[in-house]
Amino acid sequence: MAILTPGKRPAKRFRKSKVMSGKFGKGRKVANSDLQLTSMVDMFTLLVIFLLANFSATGDVLFMSKEIQLPTASHGSEIERAPVVAITDNFIGLEGQKVVDVDQIAHDEILNIQALEDNLRDLKKREEFVHQLDKDHQFAGKINIQADKRTHFKIIKRVMYSCAMAGYGNINFAILAGKQDKAPVPGAPGAPPAAPAADQKPN
Amino acid sequence: MAGAAVPEPSGKGKKKALDSVVNVVPFIDLLSCCLAFLLITAVWTQVGKLQVAQAGGQGEPTPPDSKTLVLTLGLSEKGFSLTAGQGAGAIDIPKKGTEFDIPALLDKLKEVKTQFPDQQTITVSPEDSVQYNDLVQTIDACMKMGLNSVTVQAVS
Repeated sequence: MAILTPGKRPAKRFRKSKVMSGKFGKGRKVANSDLQLTSMVDMFTLLVIFLLANFSATGDVLFMSKEIQLPTASHGSEIERAPVVAITDNFIGLEGQKVVDVDQIAHDEILNIQALEDNLRDLKKREEFVHQLDKDHQFAGKINIQADKRTHFKIIKRVMYSCAMAGYGNINFAILAGKQDKAPVPGAPGAPPAAPAADQKPN
Repeated sequence: MAGAAVPEPSGKGKKKALDSVVNVVPFIDLLSCCLAFLLITAVWTQVGKLQVAQAGGQGEPTPPDSKTLVLTLGLSEKGFSLTAGQGAGAIDIPKKGTEFDIPALLDKLKEVKTQFPDQQTITVSPEDSVQYNDLVQTIDACMKMGLNSVTVQAVS
Protein backbone atom coordinates (compact mmCIF):
# COMPACT_ATOMS: atom_id res chain seq x y z
CA MET A 1 0.00 0.00 0.00
CA ALA A 2 1.27 3.41 -0.90
CA ILE A 3 2.33 5.82 1.84
CA LEU A 4 0.01 8.77 1.83
CA THR A 5 0.39 12.23 3.30
CA PRO A 6 -1.37 12.50 6.63
CA GLY A 7 -4.59 14.42 6.66
CA LYS A 8 -8.09 14.23 5.33
CA ARG A 9 -8.53 12.08 2.25
CA PRO A 10 -11.99 12.53 0.78
CA ALA A 11 -13.58 9.95 -1.41
CA LYS A 12 -13.40 10.51 -5.18
CA ARG A 13 -17.02 11.51 -5.51
CA PHE A 14 -16.61 14.14 -2.77
CA ARG A 15 -13.49 15.49 -4.47
CA LYS A 16 -15.42 15.98 -7.72
CA SER A 17 -18.46 17.40 -5.99
CA LYS A 18 -18.94 21.13 -6.37
CA VAL A 19 -20.43 21.39 -2.92
CA MET A 20 -18.12 19.18 -0.98
CA SER A 21 -14.82 19.73 -2.82
CA GLY A 22 -14.46 23.24 -1.44
CA LYS A 23 -14.42 21.89 2.07
CA PHE A 24 -11.35 19.85 1.35
CA GLY A 25 -9.66 21.91 -1.28
CA LYS A 26 -9.05 25.16 0.55
CA GLY A 27 -7.08 25.97 3.64
CA ARG A 28 -5.29 22.67 3.77
CA LYS A 29 -2.30 22.82 6.07
CA VAL A 30 1.09 21.57 4.95
CA ALA A 31 1.64 18.20 6.57
CA ASN A 32 5.44 18.26 6.32
CA SER A 33 7.26 19.91 9.20
CA ASP A 34 10.92 20.89 9.21
CA LEU A 35 13.09 19.04 11.71
CA GLN A 36 15.40 21.38 13.59
CA LEU A 37 18.75 19.63 13.66
CA THR A 38 20.87 22.50 14.90
CA SER A 39 20.55 21.74 18.59
CA MET A 40 21.07 18.03 18.03
CA VAL A 41 24.24 18.61 16.01
CA ASP A 42 25.48 21.01 18.69
CA MET A 43 24.88 18.42 21.41
CA PHE A 44 26.57 15.69 19.38
CA THR A 45 29.59 17.91 18.75
CA LEU A 46 29.95 18.76 22.43
CA LEU A 47 29.66 15.11 23.45
CA VAL A 48 32.25 14.04 20.87
CA ILE A 49 34.68 16.75 22.01
CA PHE A 50 34.21 15.79 25.67
CA LEU A 51 34.71 12.09 24.97
CA LEU A 52 37.73 12.73 22.75
CA ALA A 53 39.30 14.84 25.50
CA ASN A 54 38.85 11.97 27.97
CA PHE A 55 39.91 9.28 25.51
CA SER A 56 42.50 6.87 26.79
CA ALA A 57 44.44 4.85 24.26
CA THR A 58 45.63 2.36 26.87
CA GLY A 59 42.09 1.31 27.75
CA ASP A 60 41.25 -0.57 30.89
CA VAL A 61 44.41 -2.12 32.30
CA LEU A 62 42.69 -3.43 35.40
CA PHE A 63 39.52 -5.42 35.66
CA MET A 64 37.45 -3.51 38.18
CA SER A 65 35.24 -5.64 40.38
CA LYS A 66 33.01 -4.89 43.32
CA GLU A 67 35.21 -6.97 45.59
CA ILE A 68 38.19 -4.69 45.10
CA GLN A 69 37.92 -1.08 46.17
CA LEU A 70 41.10 0.72 45.27
CA PRO A 71 42.47 3.47 47.53
CA THR A 72 42.78 6.97 46.16
CA ALA A 73 46.10 8.73 45.75
CA SER A 74 46.93 12.01 44.09
CA HIS A 75 50.61 11.55 43.21
CA GLY A 76 50.48 8.40 41.16
CA SER A 77 51.56 8.08 37.56
CA GLU A 78 49.78 6.52 34.63
CA ILE A 79 49.45 2.80 34.93
CA GLU A 80 51.12 0.62 32.31
CA ARG A 81 50.06 -2.69 30.92
CA ALA A 82 51.63 -5.45 32.97
CA PRO A 83 50.47 -8.65 34.67
CA VAL A 84 47.95 -7.90 37.40
CA VAL A 85 47.83 -9.65 40.75
CA ALA A 86 44.43 -9.06 42.31
CA ILE A 87 43.98 -9.43 46.06
CA THR A 88 40.49 -9.60 47.50
CA ASP A 89 39.23 -10.65 50.93
CA ASN A 90 38.71 -14.18 49.66
CA PHE A 91 41.27 -15.01 47.03
CA ILE A 92 44.41 -13.98 45.19
CA GLY A 93 44.24 -13.98 41.43
CA LEU A 94 46.59 -13.48 38.52
CA GLU A 95 45.41 -11.99 35.23
CA GLY A 96 41.76 -12.52 36.14
CA GLN A 97 42.25 -16.15 37.15
CA LYS A 98 41.92 -17.26 40.75
CA VAL A 99 45.19 -18.72 42.01
CA VAL A 100 44.72 -19.40 45.69
CA ASP A 101 42.26 -18.76 48.50
CA VAL A 102 43.35 -16.39 51.22
CA ASP A 103 42.15 -18.86 53.85
CA GLN A 104 44.50 -21.51 52.46
CA ILE A 105 47.59 -19.41 52.95
CA ALA A 106 46.57 -17.50 56.07
CA HIS A 107 48.27 -19.91 58.47
CA ASP A 108 51.38 -20.69 56.43
CA GLU A 109 54.69 -20.15 58.13
CA ILE A 110 56.67 -19.44 54.98
CA LEU A 111 56.63 -16.03 53.33
CA ASN A 112 56.08 -16.90 49.70
CA ILE A 113 52.85 -18.12 48.13
CA GLN A 114 53.96 -21.14 46.12
CA ALA A 115 50.97 -21.33 43.76
CA LEU A 116 51.29 -17.66 42.85
CA GLU A 117 55.03 -17.93 42.40
CA ASP A 118 54.64 -20.92 40.07
CA ASN A 119 52.05 -19.11 37.98
CA LEU A 120 54.24 -16.03 37.77
CA ARG A 121 57.24 -18.09 36.70
CA ASP A 122 55.16 -19.63 33.90
CA LEU A 123 53.97 -16.18 32.88
CA LYS A 124 57.52 -14.87 32.89
CA LYS A 125 58.67 -17.72 30.66
CA ARG A 126 55.84 -16.99 28.24
CA GLU A 127 56.59 -13.27 28.19
CA GLU A 128 60.29 -13.86 27.63
CA PHE A 129 59.55 -16.31 24.81
CA VAL A 130 57.09 -13.97 23.11
CA HIS A 131 59.41 -10.98 23.30
CA GLN A 132 62.72 -12.77 22.68
CA LEU A 133 63.13 -11.15 19.27
CA ASP A 134 61.51 -7.86 20.21
CA LYS A 135 64.31 -5.85 21.77
CA ASP A 136 62.09 -2.84 22.39
CA HIS A 137 59.79 -4.77 24.68
CA GLN A 138 62.11 -6.94 26.68
CA PHE A 139 60.92 -8.39 29.96
CA ALA A 140 61.26 -5.70 32.63
CA GLY A 141 59.73 -7.48 35.61
CA LYS A 142 56.82 -5.08 35.88
CA ILE A 143 53.77 -6.15 37.81
CA ASN A 144 50.67 -4.37 39.05
CA ILE A 145 49.22 -5.24 42.43
CA GLN A 146 45.52 -4.49 42.64
CA ALA A 147 44.44 -4.92 46.24
CA ASP A 148 41.33 -3.99 48.14
CA LYS A 149 41.96 -1.05 50.41
CA ARG A 150 41.15 -3.07 53.54
CA THR A 151 43.70 -5.76 52.74
CA HIS A 152 46.27 -6.21 55.46
CA PHE A 153 49.94 -5.77 54.71
CA LYS A 154 50.47 -9.32 55.92
CA ILE A 155 48.99 -10.57 52.65
CA ILE A 156 50.52 -7.86 50.49
CA LYS A 157 54.06 -8.50 51.69
CA ARG A 158 53.68 -12.18 50.85
CA VAL A 159 52.43 -11.32 47.39
CA MET A 160 55.31 -8.88 46.92
CA TYR A 161 57.80 -11.49 48.06
CA SER A 162 56.33 -14.10 45.69
CA CYS A 163 56.50 -11.62 42.81
CA ALA A 164 60.12 -10.82 43.59
CA MET A 165 61.00 -14.51 43.83
CA ALA A 166 59.45 -15.13 40.42
CA GLY A 167 61.43 -12.31 38.84
CA TYR A 168 58.86 -9.53 39.00
CA GLY A 169 60.73 -6.97 41.07
CA ASN A 170 59.26 -3.85 39.50
CA ILE A 171 56.16 -3.57 41.65
CA ASN A 172 53.39 -1.03 41.14
CA PHE A 173 50.48 -0.48 43.50
CA ALA A 174 47.26 0.24 41.64
CA ILE A 175 45.36 3.26 42.90
CA LEU A 176 42.50 5.45 41.83
CA ALA A 177 43.87 8.73 40.59
CA GLY A 178 42.66 11.56 42.80
CA LYS A 179 42.94 15.29 42.36
CA GLN A 180 46.37 16.85 42.31
CA ASP A 181 47.11 19.53 44.89
CA LYS A 182 47.43 22.92 43.29
CA ALA A 183 50.05 24.45 45.56
CA PRO A 184 53.31 22.51 45.55
CA VAL A 185 54.88 21.93 48.91
CA PRO A 186 58.30 23.56 49.40
CA GLY A 187 61.00 21.06 48.64
CA ALA A 188 58.72 18.95 46.48
CA PRO A 189 59.32 18.69 42.71
CA GLY A 190 58.17 21.81 40.93
CA ALA A 191 58.29 23.86 44.09
CA PRO A 192 60.62 26.79 44.68
CA PRO A 193 64.06 25.78 45.96
CA ALA A 194 64.23 25.12 49.65
CA ALA A 195 66.66 26.58 52.15
CA PRO A 196 70.26 25.38 51.94
CA ALA A 197 71.04 22.11 53.60
CA ALA A 198 71.91 22.23 57.23
CA ASP A 199 74.04 19.74 59.05
CA GLN A 200 71.53 19.22 61.81
CA LYS A 201 69.19 16.30 61.67
CA PRO A 202 65.54 16.85 62.56
CA ASN A 203 64.58 16.32 66.14
CA MET B 1 20.84 27.44 9.85
CA ALA B 2 22.27 23.97 9.71
CA GLY B 3 18.93 22.33 9.32
CA ALA B 4 18.24 19.78 6.65
CA ALA B 5 15.10 21.57 5.49
CA VAL B 6 14.96 22.98 2.01
CA PRO B 7 14.77 26.77 2.16
CA GLU B 8 11.61 28.29 0.92
CA PRO B 9 11.99 30.51 -2.16
CA SER B 10 12.27 34.09 -1.05
CA GLY B 11 11.55 37.21 -3.01
CA LYS B 12 9.37 37.56 -6.01
CA GLY B 13 9.06 35.42 -9.05
CA LYS B 14 12.10 34.56 -11.12
CA LYS B 15 15.01 35.42 -8.84
CA LYS B 16 17.08 32.45 -7.85
CA ALA B 17 17.44 31.74 -4.16
CA LEU B 18 20.89 32.63 -2.85
CA ASP B 19 20.62 30.33 0.15
CA SER B 20 22.37 27.05 -0.36
CA VAL B 21 21.42 23.94 1.50
CA VAL B 22 24.09 22.36 3.63
CA ASN B 23 23.54 18.66 3.75
CA VAL B 24 24.12 17.81 7.37
CA VAL B 25 22.98 14.22 7.19
CA PRO B 26 26.49 12.73 6.56
CA PHE B 27 27.87 14.95 9.29
CA ILE B 28 25.27 13.65 11.73
CA ASP B 29 26.08 10.09 10.66
CA LEU B 30 29.76 10.66 11.31
CA LEU B 31 29.08 12.24 14.69
CA SER B 32 26.80 9.37 15.66
CA CYS B 33 29.46 6.81 14.78
CA CYS B 34 32.14 8.74 16.69
CA LEU B 35 29.83 9.09 19.66
CA ALA B 36 29.01 5.39 19.75
CA PHE B 37 32.69 4.41 19.42
CA LEU B 38 33.85 6.83 22.09
CA LEU B 39 31.09 5.86 24.50
CA ILE B 40 31.94 2.17 24.14
CA THR B 41 35.68 2.66 24.56
CA ALA B 42 35.48 5.33 27.27
CA VAL B 43 37.41 4.65 30.48
CA TRP B 44 35.38 6.05 33.33
CA THR B 45 37.75 5.23 36.21
CA GLN B 46 41.17 6.85 36.11
CA VAL B 47 43.54 4.26 37.48
CA GLY B 48 47.11 5.13 38.39
CA LYS B 49 50.08 3.47 39.99
CA LEU B 50 52.51 4.09 42.80
CA GLN B 51 55.85 2.56 41.99
CA VAL B 52 57.60 1.05 44.96
CA ALA B 53 60.74 -0.93 45.47
CA GLN B 54 61.03 -3.91 47.67
CA ALA B 55 63.77 -4.15 50.25
CA GLY B 56 66.45 -6.43 48.84
CA GLY B 57 65.00 -6.12 45.35
CA GLN B 58 66.11 -4.39 42.17
CA GLY B 59 65.16 -0.91 43.25
CA GLU B 60 67.01 -0.88 46.52
CA PRO B 61 68.19 2.63 47.34
CA THR B 62 71.83 3.48 46.97
CA PRO B 63 73.91 4.09 50.11
CA PRO B 64 73.36 7.60 51.42
CA ASP B 65 75.96 10.29 50.89
CA SER B 66 76.54 13.38 52.98
CA LYS B 67 73.61 15.22 51.41
CA THR B 68 71.07 12.56 52.21
CA LEU B 69 70.22 10.35 55.12
CA VAL B 70 68.58 7.01 55.80
CA LEU B 71 64.94 7.82 56.31
CA THR B 72 62.71 5.10 57.70
CA LEU B 73 59.01 5.41 58.35
CA GLY B 74 57.34 2.76 60.43
CA LEU B 75 53.60 2.18 60.45
CA SER B 76 52.04 0.44 63.41
CA GLU B 77 48.73 0.35 65.24
CA LYS B 78 49.94 3.29 67.33
CA GLY B 79 50.81 5.49 64.38
CA PHE B 80 53.88 6.62 62.46
CA SER B 81 57.43 6.31 63.66
CA LEU B 82 59.91 8.38 61.65
CA THR B 83 63.62 7.72 61.97
CA ALA B 84 65.86 10.23 60.23
CA GLY B 85 69.42 8.98 60.07
CA GLN B 86 71.14 5.93 61.41
CA GLY B 87 71.24 5.89 65.18
CA ALA B 88 68.85 8.80 65.46
CA GLY B 89 65.85 8.58 67.74
CA ALA B 90 62.45 7.82 66.28
CA ILE B 91 59.85 10.57 66.05
CA ASP B 92 56.46 9.17 66.98
CA ILE B 93 53.37 10.54 65.29
CA PRO B 94 50.40 8.96 67.05
CA LYS B 95 47.13 8.23 65.31
CA LYS B 96 44.28 10.71 65.39
CA GLY B 97 41.51 8.45 66.61
CA THR B 98 41.60 5.51 64.25
CA GLU B 99 43.24 7.36 61.37
CA PHE B 100 46.92 7.92 60.69
CA ASP B 101 47.88 11.57 61.12
CA ILE B 102 48.96 12.35 57.54
CA PRO B 103 49.18 16.18 58.02
CA ALA B 104 51.57 15.74 60.96
CA LEU B 105 53.64 13.34 58.88
CA LEU B 106 53.76 15.87 56.06
CA ASP B 107 55.03 18.51 58.49
CA LYS B 108 57.83 16.23 59.69
CA LEU B 109 58.76 15.21 56.16
CA LYS B 110 58.75 18.87 55.18
CA GLU B 111 61.31 19.57 57.91
CA VAL B 112 63.49 16.75 56.62
CA LYS B 113 63.12 17.93 53.04
CA THR B 114 64.01 21.46 54.01
CA GLN B 115 67.22 20.32 55.67
CA PHE B 116 68.05 17.73 53.02
CA PRO B 117 66.70 18.94 49.68
CA ASP B 118 68.48 16.14 47.79
CA GLN B 119 66.76 13.48 49.82
CA GLN B 120 64.77 11.26 47.45
CA THR B 121 64.59 7.93 49.21
CA ILE B 122 62.52 6.66 52.09
CA THR B 123 61.86 3.22 53.47
CA VAL B 124 58.30 2.54 54.56
CA SER B 125 58.04 -0.27 57.02
CA PRO B 126 54.47 -1.25 57.90
CA GLU B 127 53.37 -3.84 60.41
CA ASP B 128 51.27 -6.80 59.30
CA SER B 129 48.04 -5.29 60.59
CA VAL B 130 48.35 -2.09 58.53
CA GLN B 131 45.75 -1.81 55.79
CA TYR B 132 46.61 -1.26 52.14
CA ASN B 133 44.74 2.04 52.14
CA ASP B 134 46.92 3.43 54.95
CA LEU B 135 50.05 2.21 53.20
CA VAL B 136 49.04 3.91 49.95
CA GLN B 137 48.16 7.15 51.73
CA THR B 138 51.57 7.11 53.41
CA ILE B 139 53.42 6.49 50.14
CA ASP B 140 51.35 9.22 48.53
CA ALA B 141 52.34 11.64 51.31
CA CYS B 142 56.01 10.74 50.80
CA MET B 143 55.73 11.37 47.08
CA LYS B 144 53.99 14.64 47.74
CA MET B 145 57.08 15.76 49.64
CA GLY B 146 59.37 14.76 46.79
CA LEU B 147 60.50 11.46 48.29
CA ASN B 148 59.86 9.60 45.06
CA SER B 149 61.99 6.55 45.65
CA VAL B 150 59.90 4.59 48.14
CA THR B 151 61.03 1.21 49.37
CA VAL B 152 58.56 -1.01 51.17
CA GLN B 153 60.05 -3.26 53.80
CA ALA B 154 58.31 -5.62 56.17
CA VAL B 155 59.01 -5.23 59.87
CA SER B 156 61.59 -7.82 60.78
